[in-house]
Amino acid sequence: MSARRRVIVAGLVIAGLTWAGTIVAAYQVVRRFETTPGVAADASSSWPARSTLRRTPGRWSLVMLVHPHCSCSRASIEELQAILEKAPHTMRTSVLVYRPSEFPAGWERTDVYESASRLPRTNVIVDRDGREAQVFGGFTSGQTFLYDDTGRLRFAGGITSLRGHAGFNRGTADVIQIANAGQGSGKHPVFGCAISTPEKGNVQ
Amino acid sequence: MSTFVMAADQGSTAARATELLDAQMNNRRATVDRMFAALLVVQYIAGIAGAFAVSPYVWQGKERVLHLHVWVAVLAGAGITVLPVLLAIFRPGAVLTRHVIAASQMLSSALLIHLTGGRIETHFHVFGSLAFLAFYLDWKVIITATIVIASDHFARGVFWPESVYGVANPEWWRFLEHAGWVVFEDIFLIWACIFGTKEAQFAATKQAEVEYLSEQEQLKSAALEMALSEIQVASA
Repeated sequence: MSARRRVIVAGLVIAGLTWAGTIVAAYQVVRRFETTPGVAADASSSWPARSTLRRTPGRWSLVMLVHPHCSCSRASIEELQAILEKAPHTMRTSVLVYRPSEFPAGWERTDVYESASRLPRTNVIVDRDGREAQVFGGFTSGQTFLYDDTGRLRFAGGITSLRGHAGFNRGTADVIQIANAGQGSGKHPVFGCAISTPEKGNVQ
Repeated sequence: MSTFVMAADQGSTAARATELLDAQMNNRRATVDRMFAALLVVQYIAGIAGAFAVSPYVWQGKERVLHLHVWVAVLAGAGITVLPVLLAIFRPGAVLTRHVIAASQMLSSALLIHLTGGRIETHFHVFGSLAFLAFYLDWKVIITATIVIASDHFARGVFWPESVYGVANPEWWRFLEHAGWVVFEDIFLIWACIFGTKEAQFAATKQAEVEYLSEQEQLKSAALEMALSEIQVASA
């Protein structure tokens, strides 16, 4: 075997090992990233009295927390649209879009914000410094709360199966089922960027 | 074999037809290898650009860090691309090259699907890639590609089911439903490969026969010219 041929064969063997190693490593890294949920909500069992959001007595309410620059939250908005199509149209829906006060107005106007604005029967509200998120007890973008007509918390969690993956998942199915049946309760892991961390006790 | 070719010469004509077919196929497959090498590099760059466009950062409140998808697009994309490109450069037309290219192309599909958050539209990349792989006119390459993409779905269905089915405990056979659509396309592509190879064989046989007959005619003409010159010499 000539020296040039040996170099080519060695190069191809190294490339082959890199190829196989990359595939295995990429699967592991991406799987860990996408299946690791964000911090679960620490929500009270009923509509928080300190909230500046007004609940309409006698009607179900859905509140979703969103970080406008979280790419994973596009999937959450897609799923919220699916919920709005299948849940009773009397349900009041609010999307709270996080914006730190030191960031200029308009920072929150991303495609996530615009998508939320196009949802039917939905109020999109800028949540300065995530104060309302803190009141509701949520820490992660995509966190969804469903309250019944008496203000009792019926569902808390995410409505995607992984980070950034829209499509059928247990969270969406539970919200639709509970809202239509008018009974039951559920929880689901939430996947998205952090809005705040519980360790700090306040929002960033 | 044409009736114009004498039975005794059929062996040499068949050997020439095989030689022509091999040369044509080798040339074709080396060309397709190079096209795939270029495509894989373009896909690599597109994957990085797409990751930057779709999900550039992961946020923690007001802090941001580069999104894992960008790293995966850069590092995993390079890892997937480097071997098939090197093989296309140093081993164009080889059997191993096109099978590695087929596997890498399917892995690129899986990567692009992932980088776009599992968008259903990106799944069309799989079907387009299979059609492109049929340019090799080698049905075994289609099988390799199908095994890779089915294995991806099977492995994810076992270890990471939410990424494919949205639920944590799907039925074990659910990957067959997804792979079934790939098999549906495979049936037509494999038929096209076999049919295309037969056409190429037919064309090579015809060319070998034409070469043989042309050679015979040249020999006859030479013999005739020689006889005529002998007659002219004798009459002079």
